[in-house]
Amino acid sequence: MSATVLSVVTMIALVILALALLLSVVRVIIGPSLPDRVLALDLLTVSAMGFVGTIAIRTGRALYLDIAIALALLGFLATVGFARYILSRQRPLSGSGGEGHP
Amino acid sequence: MTDALIYLGCAALLAGAIFTLLAAIGVLRLPDLYMRMHAASKAGAVGGGLILLAVALVCFDAAVALRAIIGVGFLLLTTPVSAHLLARASHYAGYRADELMEIDELKSKSGQSLM
Amino acid sequence: MSPAAIVIVLALGWAAITGNFSGLNLLFGAAIGAIAVLLLRRAFAPPRALRKLRRISSLALLFVYELMLSAIRVAIIVVTPDLKSALRPAIVAVPLTVKSDAEITLLANLITLTPGTLSIDVSEDRGVLYVHALTLSTREALIADIAKGFEIKVKEVFE
Repeated sequence: MSATVLSVVTMIALVILALALLLSVVRVIIGPSLPDRVLALDLLTVSAMGFVGTIAIRTGRALYLDIAIALALLGFLATVGFARYILSRQRPLSGSGGEGHP
Repeated sequence: MTDALIYLGCAALLAGAIFTLLAAIGVLRLPDLYMRMHAASKAGAVGGGLILLAVALVCFDAAVALRAIIGVGFLLLTTPVSAHLLARASHYAGYRADELMEIDELKSKSGQSLM
Repeated sequence: MSPAAIVIVLALGWAAITGNFSGLNLLFGAAIGAIAVLLLRRAFAPPRALRKLRRISSLALLFVYELMLSAIRVAIIVVTPDLKSALRPAIVAVPLTVKSDAEITLLANLITLTPGTLSIDVSEDRGVLYVHALTLSTREALIADIAKGFEIKVKEVFE
């Protein structure tokens, strides 16, 4: 009984998360500015993490959980890196040289 | 007992997926960068956290459950930091909010430091 | 005997009684033990450490509650058909009374994850926190909200 419920619920969750991934991709494509795209990419990583977590429940393999947590870490580091890039692109940090040509 | 945990996990999973979807809708619909950040940082963190919580509830292995819960804590710690960094970077880099903005008490300050 | 040691002993006792030494059962025992220690704290514990623990858990509870509230509120705003009238964005300078780095970091993170607010920057002299609000009512209300809610709790934890 509970196995069928689990299977159905994970399927529904996968569909919802796929929709979320799709919407984030739309924002990545149309996003007018760079920070918009970075934000959408961040959300994309979180959605992908949810996707992998749902697959972990569906297959019952704990290994997927590690992938999900690694994805969350990767998303965080990528956003930090992009924030640094946005900051230095427009306003070169003192001593870091002038790479910020508008 | 185990069945109850599974149903609870299913509820958490569905809620997490729906919050993630709402975060995506918010990022798509809201009119400017900073408002989108609200959607992505809050609904995104809650959505991802609920899904990891569902993994912890459904699997019956203490090591896995503990890892999932540590993952939730990690997500709740890092999401605000990344949102904060991105907001700060874009504000300093001169990405302005749209005309809806009522008060902007940071504007004059960042204007000075930009010079 | 410190409260932590009591909790460990209680967890081991619980596992022994139920005849199951798996990690999950030990955790469950520890949770029950922690509740018991909290209920009986007057009988055997130095009050300071436990008061701090209670403040931390009260902050954590408030945080989880506000987090769920904030996610639901953002979700409701997102699905409103008429977005423009529902939004009143603003960036407000909130004066800080907490001073140390750890306190400001904790407060800024808490603010980001609570209803309608997102911390953007801290001034160089650490006196002002710049907060972006999604649905501003008035500037004063927002500042009072932060000062009365999280700031007091954060201070209590760190004092």
